[in-house]
This record gives sequence, structure tokens and C-alpha cells, in this order.
Amino acid sequence: MKLRDALLTFSVDRPKWVFALLLLLCLLAGLQIPSIKVDTDPENMLPHDQVDRVFHDQVKERFVLYDMIVVGMVNTESEAGIYNPKSLEALHRLSEQIGQMKGVVAKDMMALDRVDNITQEGPGTIRFEWMMRDAPTTLVQAAQIRQAVERLPLLDNTLVSGDGRAAGIYVPIESKSLSYQLSQQIEEVIAKLGVDDQFHIAGLPVSEDTFGVEMFVQMAISAPLAGLMIFILMWVFFRSLLLITAPMLVAMASVIITMGLLIGQGYTVHIMSSMIPIFLMPIAVVDSVHILSEFADRYRPGENARPAVLEVLGHLFTPMLYTSLTSAVGFASLAFTPIPPVQIFGLHVAFGIMLAFLLTVTLVPAYIISLSPKRMAQLKDHNIQEDDNSRLGRLMALMGRLSMLKARLLIVAFSLLTALSVWGVSQIQINDNPVRWFKSDHRLRVADRVLNAHFSGTYDAYLVFDRAAQEDPASALNSELMAELEADPRGAQLKPELQQMMDDAASTDFDQYASGLAGLLDEASFSRPADEEELWLALFRRVEAAQIDAKYFLNPEVLAYLDALARDLESQAQVGKVNSLPVLVKTVYRELTGGGDEQFRLPDSARGVAQTILSYQSSHRPDDLWHFVTPDYRSTLLWLQLKSGDNQDMTDVINHVSAYIDAHPLPQGLSVNWAGLTYINVVWQEQMVNGMLKSLMSAFVMVLVMMIVLFRSFSIGLLAMLPLSVTILFIYGLIGFVGKDYDMPIAVLSALTLGLSVDFAIHYLERARAIYRQCGSWPEAIAEIYKGPSRAISRNAIVIAIGFTPLLLAPLVPYITVGFFLASIMAVSALVTLLLLPAVITLIGNKEKLFGTRNLEHESA
Amino acid sequence: MRTSMYALSLFFTGALWAGTALAADLTDVDQIVDQANHAAYYQGEDGRSEVRMVIRDDQGREQLRQFTILRKDLADGGDQNFYVAFSRPADVRNTVFMVAKHVDRDDDRWLYLPGLDLVKRISAGDKRTSFVGSHFFYEDVSGRNPAEDRFELMETTAEQYHLKATPKDPQSVEFSQYQLWIDKATMLPVRIDYFDSGAEPYRRVEALEIQDIQGFPTVVTSRVSDLRGGGATTMEFGFMKYDIGLPDEVFSERSLRTLPRDWLRRPQ
Repeated sequence: MKLRDALLTFSVDRPKWVFALLLLLCLLAGLQIPSIKVDTDPENMLPHDQVDRVFHDQVKERFVLYDMIVVGMVNTESEAGIYNPKSLEALHRLSEQIGQMKGVVAKDMMALDRVDNITQEGPGTIRFEWMMRDAPTTLVQAAQIRQAVERLPLLDNTLVSGDGRAAGIYVPIESKSLSYQLSQQIEEVIAKLGVDDQFHIAGLPVSEDTFGVEMFVQMAISAPLAGLMIFILMWVFFRSLLLITAPMLVAMASVIITMGLLIGQGYTVHIMSSMIPIFLMPIAVVDSVHILSEFADRYRPGENARPAVLEVLGHLFTPMLYTSLTSAVGFASLAFTPIPPVQIFGLHVAFGIMLAFLLTVTLVPAYIISLSPKRMAQLKDHNIQEDDNSRLGRLMALMGRLSMLKARLLIVAFSLLTALSVWGVSQIQINDNPVRWFKSDHRLRVADRVLNAHFSGTYDAYLVFDRAAQEDPASALNSELMAELEADPRGAQLKPELQQMMDDAASTDFDQYASGLAGLLDEASFSRPADEEELWLALFRRVEAAQIDAKYFLNPEVLAYLDALARDLESQAQVGKVNSLPVLVKTVYRELTGGGDEQFRLPDSARGVAQTILSYQSSHRPDDLWHFVTPDYRSTLLWLQLKSGDNQDMTDVINHVSAYIDAHPLPQGLSVNWAGLTYINVVWQEQMVNGMLKSLMSAFVMVLVMMIVLFRSFSIGLLAMLPLSVTILFIYGLIGFVGKDYDMPIAVLSALTLGLSVDFAIHYLERARAIYRQCGSWPEAIAEIYKGPSRAISRNAIVIAIGFTPLLLAPLVPYITVGFFLASIMAVSALVTLLLLPAVITLIGNKEKLFGTRNLEHESA
Repeated sequence: MRTSMYALSLFFTGALWAGTALAADLTDVDQIVDQANHAAYYQGEDGRSEVRMVIRDDQGREQLRQFTILRKDLADGGDQNFYVAFSRPADVRNTVFMVAKHVDRDDDRWLYLPGLDLVKRISAGDKRTSFVGSHFFYEDVSGRNPAEDRFELMETTAEQYHLKATPKDPQSVEFSQYQLWIDKATMLPVRIDYFDSGAEPYRRVEALEIQDIQGFPTVVTSRVSDLRGGGATTMEFGFMKYDIGLPDEVFSERSLRTLPRDWLRRPQ
């Protein structure tokens, strides 16, 4: 304990140094805070190099997919819904202005005035034109647009809802960080439109950006509010500004330095990290309250404060170190989850807790030493130790008697409750949805509901099919050609010619190589001697076949497989719509072949598919094709529009696809993977559930080991773990029982409450042992424990629990969840500690052995 | 009289007026436009060329298309016919695109898809749609009717005329104006920039290489760039030949299904 003594002596001898050092640290840390960067991207729940995330990013690049803002326009007034001249004119104006905004990828914007229409114009004639080049002026024209939209499956229910009441504008944006600002600009345009239609802005980037803005609000309001709440609580308990100042200073300094450290290291502030101040404040004040209480007890006015301070701290140092360590371990165990923002949160709170401990054992003594004798005298005037006859005091005494007299009953009751909790835990629904992080009446939630009620769904998932890359297709083709040539009697002497052609056509791109070689063979078939013509043409046909085969997703059989899967998926309740290459091909084919419904099918050959696609590319938006297939035709995707962003629904769809593929094996050489944000959310949730289990287990073992070391007793170590185990089981059982989804904030709570709630057991057992060793009688010990020590425990539970309640006022749901559950866990675990521990100890026969009285006697002897 | 100019000289070009251009600067914008139109689209009576088109997207991914193009003028500076037959890649071989271009009414356009054994007429509609997925428009292939725009001469430099064109019917096109730079020596437009409401062009057409073919200055490499999206399409013209005596039947509906192989073959 040399370090302890050195620290304490330094603090009481050089208080000014302590203040100066702390001020300097706070200044240094405070300077970092303005460079805060908020990160609300749920994608960042996964590390950048996580395999699903890497694939998702590649898919976005390969298929040129952007993050989108969705603007929805709803008309419930007109009989024609959105298809009335006034609404369409407004939509046209809005879309035009959005297209000119900086940061919008106008080329890929989707709206009625920006897409193409293919129609029949008399027999044998097709017409490519803009769907709505100019807004219609009559209802009849508007109805024609409706007819056209409903004929095109890729647009129907995506651009305009099936009921005709809602129209959408899909705005791809260059960067997510522009979405809040762009949505503001869009709102401004909407305000000036002068129509009665309702407008909604949705889309994940907007949610994220809005979340970031509201997170700042939360940090600016809830954190100071939590500080204020703790201040008031302490005022209620101690009624002394003088006394309260020190803990408040410790709390503020811990928060500032921890946040400064986090920001200074270049970490972004994610949703979890934004809660650090609120977590740290209640935890940070608790220890100083202990010191001040005890100091006020011992200090006699007029005495030198130094010996009293050193005595109090010398005696409290170890228990405070352990409670701080256990809390820190609980948070630090979050580092075992594979979710970077959660890791950063856990490690920094752990740091903050240890910092708060350090500040408590340095700043508080320095503070006391620096007080003038007059102020010191004021300390004494306050009733710090509550009266045994206070309401809390009587309640405690009652609990003490109850726990001893009804020990068996209590244990049976707790066992039953625990059994019920285990059942409740088995009922837990693992589910999350970032949009639900907003309250149900938030405009984004409203937009989400309205748009998903009208449209096929605003949640995207991509089922990506990749044809395995052929290894060096050019040399495979070359040896095939050489073999064919050798099979002909004249072949041998023509080999140099063929080799020359191969060399001339050489290209790194197989398609270009095949085109070049085919050209040379074609040329040779008529420029070379007539008797060689058939031979060259045979080789030419072989090259052409290889070239077409390489473009795998032109194959109608493969497209038919994808089409069947897409249609099967559309029959699922969770899937609003599936957009795909087969649907695109079928639509164009129908219009090319007369427009009859019976022609809505795939062409019979790969050439037929290729030429249908070529026709599609002769439109205003040829590049839309590349959202469905890559230019080498070796990767394609099904774009699923889901009505819900719930992870459970996405998981159902994933399972459905797996079952479908089991029943209908994939064409050979084809691999399938998921991408899209809705899928990514499922991935990080799964990782978190597993990670949390790991972090909970490791925290449990570490805290248990610490308890055994602290108490130097295996049995007491186990006892110390009992209340928190019962509490955590109970709370999670309750979550399962009530049917509340197990989501990100709830998952994070498990490990960290373990570290927080063990504090009560530490204090309880520490005092119980000391008192029992003194008096040697359990009933007497109980009576004593339920005076001072129990009151301290319940008061601390109340401070922490109520300290978290400002979170309930937060505008964002995860904060409310965390506030509510932390408060209940604190309250419940204090209650369990005070009821269950004495009941169990009462039933343990050999208390001498448990509390090590004999050992003590032995040692002293 | 026409006040007009075409999108770009892509296929057949000449310099009937090259001499006069060298003699003295032209000051009449209509005259410049007329000569450029002629140089870009009406060299010789007819012609044949093999085109290698590379479409490159902003990620550098390429697609190759090869086709042979036949052209025959019905009247110099007036109506003309185009016949485009694809040869590569294999999946679109023998696909045919045919245009009967008219100066006083909408063009007639046909499409033949051999894989579906289908002949389609394409309704006049909009000509500013993509030419088979490239950055070129159909209108760039057959030429924009100069009568649709109003021209003004912005500047005359030692080598070039700089013109600005404004559409008479702004609703019919996606641009608000375009500017072109015409080489005085050949009277070929060497660069055209398209503008929307902004000050920066969003699309550029360039003549990258000009060669003398049978005495006609001819663009042999041209490129369209999407200045915002980042992609570009390059066309290289090879085996060009003027005045080959193409018969009218080559441009009949019948030759959509039955390719005029003799004329599509590279002359030996």
C-alpha cells in the first residue's frame, strides 16, 4: 500500500498541486471536445474489415448503389389519388428542384418525371419516351400515366403506390453526411409547393443524420439534467452545499477528462459513447459520499483535519478500490463484443470509473484540507447520519427482521422467481430496428409507417448471385480451338495461322479477346482459300459460343431459376416486392413482342436475352441495368423491398431463402450472399448477442475472482455474486415475459450492470463480516447491519437509480431503455441484496467458518 | 435558309469548303453551320465504315461493341439513310439498326433483333436516348437537325469558330444550350459542350483524331464524356471508304432480316 500512502500524503500536503494538476488535465481534455465527430451509421457497428460489411460495400460499388432519401407524397383528397394534374405538377416541380441540389446523384434519381416508358404505338411499332416529361394538364392525361406505370413492374408500387394515393421520389446522395442538410432543403421546396398533399421524408441516411442531431440534443440536455438530478438528490440527503461540491467536482472532472480522451484519440462519438457522461456521473459521486459521511462522523471541530482525513481514506481505500474495479471490469468486459462502438464505450467508461476513484482519493482529501476552520465547523452542523427512526431507518430494521425470521420462505420465493425468470429468458425475442430508435410519434417513424403502408417497402436487402470466376478462360478456349483444328486433316499446317490470330487478339478482358478473335476468324473464313472456309467458321462459332457462355446471366435457364425464387419470395408476407433482372427482361420482351400479357416471359435463348437488354439500353436511362447485373454478366442481384426493418423479419426471409435453395439447388458454380443495410443490421445483432454472452461470462468470472481475493474466502465470494445473478436473471426474464425486444441497448446492459450491482453485496458482506466478528451473534449482527450499512446501501442505490432517470426524458428510445433498465436493476439488486443475502446466511449452519472468525482467532493467536 | 448545326461529325466528313475557309474568315453564322453540317455528315455520295465502340463506366469497366455502318445521301445536305449492323459481341451479332433521316419531318427508325427474329419500328418519339447503352445518343449518330437550334458566333480564333446553339424548343431536349468549336481548316466540329442551367458543361463530344480519307478530312476517333458521372464512350472508325456505289435496296426493310453481306464485308 505504498502507492496508497504516497497518494494520500501528496493530496493532503499539496492540495494546491492537486487542484492545479486537475485543472490542467480538464483544460487539456476540454480542448479536445470541440473537435467531436458524431457517428450514427449503424454500419459502423461492424468493423470495417468484417466480411459481410466488406461484401456489402463491394456490392454497393459493383452495382452502383447509393444511399437514398425517399420523399413520399400522399394524396387522400382527390378521387384519382396522386394522379391528378395538381399533384403531378407539384411532384414534377419538386423532383426538378431536387435534381438540381448539390450532392444529389441526379442521373440515378427515380421519380415519375425521370423514368422511361416503353409503349406500343400501333402494330409493330414501339415507343421509348419519358414517362412524364411535362406534368399533365387533364385528369385523362394523368390517368394515362397511371396506366403506363401499372404496366411496368419495376415502377409499379415503387414510384407510385398500388392504390394510386402515394408517389415517391428516390433521391440517391453522394454521401450520407449530406442527408440531413438535403432533407432540410427538400422541406423548404415542399413548403413552397402550395399543394395540400402530405409529404414524408424517409430513408436510412436521413434517420441516421437526424439521430446524430438529436444525439447532440440528448447530450446537451440529458447529461446536465442527470448532473442536476444527482445534485438535488444529494441535497435531499445531506443538505450541505459544502459537502456536495466535492462529489460534483469529481463527477464533472471525470466526465470531461474521459470524453476529452475519447475525442482526443480520434474516436467518433457513437450512440453508446454519447451516454458516457450519464453513466459516469452517478458512479463517480458515490465514493466521495462515503468519504464525506465518514469524515463528518470522526472529525471534531477545532482539530487538525489531516489525521482524520488520512484515517478515513486509509480505511475506505480498499473497498472503494474494489467496488471501482468491479464496476470497471463490468464495463471493460464489453471489449469482448465484436462491435467497435460498444468496445470503445466499455473501455472508456471503465477508464472513467478508475479515474473517478483516483480523483476521489486525491481531490476529496485535498478539498477537505483546504477548507477554512469556519467552513469545517459547518460540516458538523449537518445531520449526515440519518436517524434510526426515519422512515428509511424503520423500513431497514423491518427488512432485517423479516429476512432472518422468514429465511426459508424468502429462499423458496426467490428460487421460484428465479425459475420463472429462466423461463422468461427462454422467451426473449431478439430483435432490433434502428428506425425504432426514434419514438413512435417522431416524424421519421410516421413517415416510415405511412410509406410502408402505401408502397412495397422502404427497407432494402439484396440477394447477390455470383458466378465463380473461370480460371484463365482465354487459354481454356485456346486449347479447345487447337484441339478442334488438329481434328481436321489440314489442321496441323494451319496451326501457326491460328496462333498468330490468338496473339493478335490478346487482351486481358475475355470478352474483348473473344470479340477480337472472332473478328479475325470471320475475316479468315472468306479471305483465305475457299476450302478452308468451313474450318474457320467452325472455330468462329466455337469462339462465339464461349463468349456467350461467359456472360452467365444471359442464360434463360439461370434467369428462370432466379425468377422463380423472386416470385416465391414475393409470396412471403415480409417481402413487399422483388426487383430483378428477369423482371426487367420480361417487361421489355413483352413490349417488343406486342405488349400482350402472355408475352410477359423470358426469351428462349441467351442471344434473345442479350438483344432484349440491348433494346432496354436504348432508353434515356441505359445505366439502370447495372443496378441489376454487372457489365460482365457474372453477378446479379435480387433487390428485395421489405415492409419492415425488423431484424426478425429479415431473419425470416434469410431462413426462407436458405430453405428454398435447399429444396431447389442453385445452378452449379453459383454462389449466393446477402447485402443491404437491413441484412447488415442482422449481422451485427447476431455478433452482439454472442459477444454479449461472452462478455457477460468473462465479467462474471473476473468479478468472482476479485470477490474471492477481496474477501479471501471462496464461499463469501460466491455469496457476493448471488444477488446480482438473481437480479440479472430476473430483469432479463421480465424482458422475455413482457415481450420487449432484446435489442442493442438491452444487450449492452447485461455485462455492465454486473459490475455495478456487485457493489451492494461487497459493502453488505464486508460490514456483515466485520460486525459478526465483533459480536459473534448473527441476530445481533443483523440488527446492526440494518442500521447504518443498509441505509448507506439503499441510499447509494437510490442515488444511482434516480441519477439515471433523466434518460427517461430523452427524445431517443435507446436512452430511455437504458435509463429505465439501469434504474430498475439498481433498485432490484439493492433489494435482493438486503433480503436474500441475510436469508441465505441465516440458513448456513457454520457461520464461524463462513466469516472466518476461527481463522482470525487463529491468526491473532 | 437554315440557322442550325448538328451534334457532331461522327461518321463521314469532308472538306468541300476547306478552300474557302482558308481563304477568309466566315462571318455569317448560317454559312458556318451549313458547312460544318455538310463536313460532318455529307461527305461523298455514300460510305462504309467499321466501328469499334468502347463504353467505359466511371469504375473503368469496359464493354465493347463492333458494328459496320453504311450511309447513303439522297440529297446533299438533305435526306439520307443509315444502316448499322452489329458484329460483336456474339450475343448481338446481326442486330440491325436502320434510320431514314428526313430534314422536313421525323426520321423513320427500324430495329431488327435476330435472337427474337423480330423487326420493330421505333416511333419517332425522342431521339436523345442512348445509342445501345453508350454515351452517344441516337441523334449523335444520324445528326441533329440544324433547324432545331438557333446559333450565334461567339468568337473566331486563328484555328476555330466558337458557336453557341440554343434550342428553339427547350422542352424537347435535356440541355439548355450547347457550344461548339469548329476547325476552320476542315470545317469539322472538334468539340461540343452541353450545358444545363449550370455554368459547367455536363457532357462533351470530341473529335480526337482526324484523317484524310480519299481527300475528305474525316473524324476517325471520337469520344463522348459524361463530365458529371465520369464515364465515356470512344468510337474508332476503321476501313472507311467513300463513294462505293451503295444501291438503294440496302436501306430497304427487307435487308433488316437479310443482311446485305456483300456491302457489309470489308472491301478486299
